[in-house]
Amino acid sequence: MFYKPKQAIHTPISRRKFLELGGAGATMLGAGSLAVGLNSTIMSTRVQAASSEEAKWRQYAGSKLVFLSENTPPSFAIRENIQSFYEKTGIEVEILTDDLPVVQQKAGIDLRSGKSDYTLNYVQDKPIGAPFADFYVDLSTMFGDDTLPQDPEGYGDGAWFENFLSACGRFYAEDKIIALPYDAAVACTFYRQDLFEAHTKDFEAEYGYRLEFNEETTWKQVLDIAKFFKAIKEGGADVPYGYAQHQGSFAWTTQLDIQRMMFSHGQWIDFPIDDKLGSKRPGPTNWGDEQSVLMLEKFKELGDASHPDNLANGTLELNTVYQSGNIAMQVQYHEFAASVENPETSVASGGRTAYAPCPKGDADWNLTGGPLVNGTNCGIGGIGINANASEDMQRAAYLFAIWSTSNQIQYDVLAGLGGTPTRKSVLEREDVKAAQQRPTNMPNALTFDAVYNHGIKDPHFVLGPKIPEANEYHSILASETQQMLSGQKSPAETAAAMKEQFDFLNDV
Amino acid sequence: MASQDVVHYDTPLQKALRVSAALFLAVYLIWTLLPFVIMFVSSFKDLLEAFNLPDVGDWSGVGIFFEFTPTFEHYSSLFSEGNFGRYMANSLIAAGGSAIVSVVFGSLAAYSLSRVEFRGKKDLFFWIISTRMAPVVAVMVPLYSIFRTLDLVGTLPGLILAYTTFNLPFAIWILKGFFDNVPYAIEESQMVDGSTRFQAFWSIVPLVAPGIGAFVVLCILFAWNDFLFAAIIGSGGAKTLPVATRELVQPQNIQWGSIMAAGVVTTAPMMLLGLVIRKYLVTGLTMGAVKE
Amino acid sequence: MTDVTNFENKSMLSGAAQLFRAREHSIEVEARPLTDALPEPTIFNPPAPKRYYLYLMAPAIAVLAFISLYPFFWLIVMSLQSVDIGSSEWVGFRNYARLLKDPNFLSGWGLLLKYSAMCLFMQLAIGLMLAVIVNNHRYEKYLVTALLMPMMMAPAVAGLLWLFLYNGTFGWYHWILQSLGILDSASILASQSTSMYAIVFVDVWQWTPLITLIALAGLKKVPRDQLEANMVDGASPIRNFFAITLPNLYPVLLIAILLRFMDNFRFIDHILVLTGGGPGNSTKILPVYLFEVAFKFFKLGRGAAIALTLLIVTIVLGMILVRVFDKPQSERK
Repeated sequence: MFYKPKQAIHTPISRRKFLELGGAGATMLGAGSLAVGLNSTIMSTRVQAASSEEAKWRQYAGSKLVFLSENTPPSFAIRENIQSFYEKTGIEVEILTDDLPVVQQKAGIDLRSGKSDYTLNYVQDKPIGAPFADFYVDLSTMFGDDTLPQDPEGYGDGAWFENFLSACGRFYAEDKIIALPYDAAVACTFYRQDLFEAHTKDFEAEYGYRLEFNEETTWKQVLDIAKFFKAIKEGGADVPYGYAQHQGSFAWTTQLDIQRMMFSHGQWIDFPIDDKLGSKRPGPTNWGDEQSVLMLEKFKELGDASHPDNLANGTLELNTVYQSGNIAMQVQYHEFAASVENPETSVASGGRTAYAPCPKGDADWNLTGGPLVNGTNCGIGGIGINANASEDMQRAAYLFAIWSTSNQIQYDVLAGLGGTPTRKSVLEREDVKAAQQRPTNMPNALTFDAVYNHGIKDPHFVLGPKIPEANEYHSILASETQQMLSGQKSPAETAAAMKEQFDFLNDV
Repeated sequence: MASQDVVHYDTPLQKALRVSAALFLAVYLIWTLLPFVIMFVSSFKDLLEAFNLPDVGDWSGVGIFFEFTPTFEHYSSLFSEGNFGRYMANSLIAAGGSAIVSVVFGSLAAYSLSRVEFRGKKDLFFWIISTRMAPVVAVMVPLYSIFRTLDLVGTLPGLILAYTTFNLPFAIWILKGFFDNVPYAIEESQMVDGSTRFQAFWSIVPLVAPGIGAFVVLCILFAWNDFLFAAIIGSGGAKTLPVATRELVQPQNIQWGSIMAAGVVTTAPMMLLGLVIRKYLVTGLTMGAVKE
Repeated sequence: MTDVTNFENKSMLSGAAQLFRAREHSIEVEARPLTDALPEPTIFNPPAPKRYYLYLMAPAIAVLAFISLYPFFWLIVMSLQSVDIGSSEWVGFRNYARLLKDPNFLSGWGLLLKYSAMCLFMQLAIGLMLAVIVNNHRYEKYLVTALLMPMMMAPAVAGLLWLFLYNGTFGWYHWILQSLGILDSASILASQSTSMYAIVFVDVWQWTPLITLIALAGLKKVPRDQLEANMVDGASPIRNFFAITLPNLYPVLLIAILLRFMDNFRFIDHILVLTGGGPGNSTKILPVYLFEVAFKFFKLGRGAAIALTLLIVTIVLGMILVRVFDKPQSERK
């Protein structure tokens, strides 16, 4: 009736005991019988010494793992290929896919109640990793364990694209790795080359420089472009709007949207901490300083020049607006290239769109004296193992974690449903190199140069505050900027309101 | 009122009223039914066709709405790629199961409550109905913990139990009204004839059966349309149609065609059921406070 | 109503029936005519022992206790704790004290009331008008059938459908609103000043039919003789409506208002789908904020405190509602 895995860990939390007592009582009431739990079972035939490679892979044959993931292409593609993992290991893996907010809810509840329904989790850096880092297994203890198979390329920082391992793997401690980079969404600029070419003459006449986009294009120029398109659109020309922001209901991407611009100008960050490592006590925020108020003013100007639905468009909807030909430019995550290049869903396909790094900081807008960079941020989805699971389960899960992040699988996903690799070696494959030019059978590869060779490298890379309160932080920031964009608060008031709430949030 | 014999002549006021009433009705009907038409038609369009709109203010251009090559791709992909067959079965089992559990337990309890008097009965009764009124979000966290402890999360039995949280109090409340209207005299006479108590109870069941049937359907309707419980307690293993439909909003793409098709698939059966139990609808939706 | 009174008299004959009949309820049982044909009991049969009924009640009560009392208790405990990362400690009333300083909590209540008031006002106004128009209409049956369709749709699906219709790029309702000059170029969801209307319209679209149905049921019971008498006195239909029809409808409308009000606390599916509480905080009514605190920020202690304030208000509303229910139908009318 009420199955408990043998290896269930009982942490001494009194409330849990209390719950289980209640639960047992309820079971006797016959409330819910016949439950077939999600709890993973394990049948271990553990090889003690390092025997054959095959034996290492097969030592947990007959076990069952559950992987809770976001509904992104790698998980769909891996689900389709799951048979090959089963044949290799004898381990059955159930992959559950949900929206990120739902994944966050379920993972959070599972981890915090001391359970391990989901042995493997999709650890999206800040939304999931930052609040729950303490609940995941330190994978570094398994790297190099010769009773487990290991990836020939290893798991060091050099095996992945720059900063990826830190982004999703290191939280508050240098020496622990809680997740391996599984997929990535890195911001870059998508723009309508066809429209830029068609209007460059008029644009040059008005602004004094050519209408084009490259890694030197600044945020101030983005504002010019947005204003230019908006003006001729409202003058009756058959053109789309110029630009739009990520301002819909998905608070995290709203925060990333403003962060790019902030960081571009003198590498401004929210808290005086090392973002890549994060901090549990970030201290007083930098919001409210001179630079942040100026940036908010500019962000507001950009919002005013954007597509009128600006405040309704989250990341996804923004992409739809671009796909349907209603904006000429968006700063978007590179995984969206596949949908933009699909002629069945997008009018921006077929060579109309070109890709470039995120816009750069502008000297006129920089009060900090710091460097001007192409502020680029990302969401790196890691794969992590629930520390509530038994040791054997953790080891079995490790097999899946290294398999799913291997070169071959990442390549298969990229070639299949359009994934976003995290291992450097994938880009060295000949056909992936070739796919970076049109015509291509891997549309995401069109962005690789802008993203992997430029944006994610220092000094352009920014992660944002990795703090346990990250989600509430995002929510406050999103709601305050939206209020500013709709004219209810001035930029200075907004910065002050944010400072007050962030410092309250972090007990400063 | 207009067609009744009360009215013998039309004053200008009445005429104006009648015309504006007809106009109001027409506008309202369009407003309320158009979404269904758009949902239905859009489910046969591919994405770029669904993006087509006439220019603002160009009322003569609305014909563009019907300019498309119908495709059944969205429907077929729901079932071939999207597992909608399974989600539909989940919805059916969860909704049907909870309806049956609620009505069986509920009718026993309702019958008893109707026949016995004791101190605190009113309070008990109020407590029962208040469980139905509690905001779902408010009790979700503790409920989830309990269900976790019982390993019921992500299972159909779990979802059935979750739906019982709102269907059972509803069933007790409504069915008690039914039993209240059956005089005790019937059972009494049965028992005089030598029946046991349970046989006596059984003998009055046919009298309330049609009502019970209608409320089974209503319970199914409530459970079928639920989203929060299904999203959080049903999660992976017991995904229902509304949750699956919501998931078609995917990180890289909002599959509007499929969402519209899924909307049709989710809504159509409930509409048919709704029509079947049409005459109980008001009683049910007002918890028995209003009858037609 | 007259048949109920008859029934009342008849049941007087049976002492036991009278004893055990809790109170007259308004639902009409299909089988009622049968009861007229029953033989009058001649022997007084002692009531069954209470124990027997309690047994029958037990399973349902146990299930309900388990899924309602237990979580309620849990909620109180949790609201007095700080349940953060993996641990919990007693913090007394700190969660509650914090709420008073939380701008989202206070604005959440304000928005919830505003949202409910707007929904109720529009639903009552439109619903009543529809009921009066449809009542005794030539096509009443068909009209009612057409009207009630939105109620059958899952609120989450309705949210998605309206997300599609409101879309500023390809939404037809957006196009209609723009073409009518009601909306300038931005989508209704894209502005803090209009987003509240967006979610209200969806609720109105789905649930106005319920008010119409309830009002229709009430209209059928408005005494015709009064109306006729008034007509003969030369009263206009409008005056007639306000003088006679409306007062007769008050009791059912009160029930409708309470039910819808509580449902506004209960159902946030369409808001989660349409706006998630934004833009800004413009649609973050309290249950939506609670959802965020509990399932996004995982501040379970704070969430429990918010949940309890919601529950208490719901319970008070419920008590009022039950009081209304409790009045015999004859008094209600």
